[in-house]
Amino acid sequence: MAGITMQGIRKVYDKTFLAVDDFNLTVQDKEFVVLVGPSGCGKSTVLRMIAGLEEITAGDLYIGERRVNQVEPKNRNIAMVFQNYALYPHMTVYDNIAFGLRMRHLPRREIDAKVRQAAEILEISDLLKRKPKALSGGQRQRVAIGRAIVRSPDVFLMDEPLSNLDAKLRGQMRTELIQLRRTLDTTFVYVTHDQTEAMTLGDRIVVMNEGHIMQTGTPEEVFSRPANRFVAGFIGTPQMNFLPARIERTEGGCAVCALGRSIALPACFDRPELSGREVVLGIRPEHITLSDDGGIPAAVVVKELLGSTVDLHLKVGETLLEAIVPTAAAAAVLGEAPTVRIAPDMAQVHLFDPESGERIAESAAPEPDEATANA
Amino acid sequence: MKKKHYFGRGAMFLLCAVFAVLFLLPTVLTITNSFMSESEINSNYGMVFDTTTGGYVSKHVNLKFIPDKVTFSQYVTGLVKSPTYLIKFWNSVILVAPIVVFQVAIAAVAAYSFTRWRGKVRSLIFFFYVILMLMPYQVTLVPNYLVAERLGLLNTRWAIILPGIFAPFSVFLLTKFMRRIPYALIESAKIDGAGEWQIFTRICLPQCRSALFSIAILVFIDYWNMVEQPIVLLSDADKQPLSVYLSSINAGEIGLAFAMAVIYMVPSLLIFLKGEEYLVEGIAHQGSVKG
Repeated sequence: MAGITMQGIRKVYDKTFLAVDDFNLTVQDKEFVVLVGPSGCGKSTVLRMIAGLEEITAGDLYIGERRVNQVEPKNRNIAMVFQNYALYPHMTVYDNIAFGLRMRHLPRREIDAKVRQAAEILEISDLLKRKPKALSGGQRQRVAIGRAIVRSPDVFLMDEPLSNLDAKLRGQMRTELIQLRRTLDTTFVYVTHDQTEAMTLGDRIVVMNEGHIMQTGTPEEVFSRPANRFVAGFIGTPQMNFLPARIERTEGGCAVCALGRSIALPACFDRPELSGREVVLGIRPEHITLSDDGGIPAAVVVKELLGSTVDLHLKVGETLLEAIVPTAAAAAVLGEAPTVRIAPDMAQVHLFDPESGERIAESAAPEPDEATANA
Repeated sequence: MKKKHYFGRGAMFLLCAVFAVLFLLPTVLTITNSFMSESEINSNYGMVFDTTTGGYVSKHVNLKFIPDKVTFSQYVTGLVKSPTYLIKFWNSVILVAPIVVFQVAIAAVAAYSFTRWRGKVRSLIFFFYVILMLMPYQVTLVPNYLVAERLGLLNTRWAIILPGIFAPFSVFLLTKFMRRIPYALIESAKIDGAGEWQIFTRICLPQCRSALFSIAILVFIDYWNMVEQPIVLLSDADKQPLSVYLSSINAGEIGLAFAMAVIYMVPSLLIFLKGEEYLVEGIAHQGSVKG
């Protein structure tokens, strides 16, 4: 088992295209870290550099205590699961799983024992004689994982391993990966563009954009305290609503002028330096509720039933908003009415600098939970 | 609508049947005529080959498919009584076998290099390969002759075998085929601990099996039927293959030539029948290669 340390990693393709820049990350031993970001953000490049499949232009990469910049992939003791599974089509499932062990010249008996043990863990013992073309997507995925775990590597690298599966199977495999991770108890680096996978699998999430780390933190941290507007918009479905706003002081504290009215802000934003400042107000759709009386009138543009919730596309003046409300609540209020009244949960709002996009931090007042605990 | 569909299919079937019969006629004629006696052959075709009167007696032949009397005498003469044909057959084998084996082997290694090597001059070298491939071998025959003469290989089998081994056609086809192998497989093998040779032999080659077989079949048929190269490069008649010898038949040996032509067809037919699936699969894959 081993952790991974990346210091100032940089990757330039063809001397012109900067894919990854100033990438600093430490993955602890036995930690499950998920690299997440939009297509082309450099997450797979980072994974491939860890695997040794891409040359590192600059920076240092350590697996455990060993600097591995120039070490061949086969000597890094890593295993990788590819997006398209990369199963050898001419070999049986058994031979696919055994291939890595044979390359290491292990005794035949040991290979057999390890392959059967891995097959048992992944419940593919009855598939060992089949060839990949005779397997379903989920079974192929298991074989690919089996090929990785059989070698007991220091680090597991997974490059969007569930992206080729249908939604149902993806959910199932996600659960199995969580269980597998508990069984194996080793270091994982997992790449995905699916934030649900990132939120459910990772001990820590690394959100990337254009080759840079935007934020690193636990799923809760990244979701509830996004470091910037990019992270706020990328994590969460549907994405956060962003509204142009201005902070002003009021008699009772401070408020934000948005949607054509003044809405009181929590005390944590009540700071003199913020007064009069232009900001971007971020509200997650699930933090907008329907109000029976009061609230902000909003026209319903589109109503999407998602099952237990309804996704409302609203228009307040010229501003478009999205709100997720419980189906029951929506049914009671909506009816055929073209307008509703909404009330944002101001305790959950986020403020961002309109130019840099960076989060405007709340003041260091004690968190409600912490205050309660202290009390 | 349905009637029109049936009519179209019927017409197509008829057309295909006519072409099939036309293509099969020479082969069937050769096979059936090989079982005719020498006198029957002479009575059918003698007039064409009889030039003693200062020209062909007739431009028409008496095409006859069914022998009056089936006889194996031509085969007995060719295989037992006269060793010349068997020697020529053996000459064909020892010329073609190394060409097929080594051309496929070298093409596999070269194609793997073209697939894996990412150097800047790769495209340039591959371009030259394609240019060479596009040249008919009649064009390269004279340079081959000059090189063989300079190397002292003229009138030796190496003058034919060596250019045959390094023919670019197989390299081109196999490179196109190998490029279809997902790169993730090679990367996966690298992570699994495979070296370059193991990736080549255990990952790439098994997946190119159909291409290798189809190339081997095409190369075999191509060189088994060669005529120009041996005529130019092998002046010694004892070293020439049966393909050349069959073309120099004379009036007295027409029946024997039929029988030997049948024997000459057998290896090609066997190889084709054995590797038909691979050939079709290989050609189908090569046709669907993405640039």
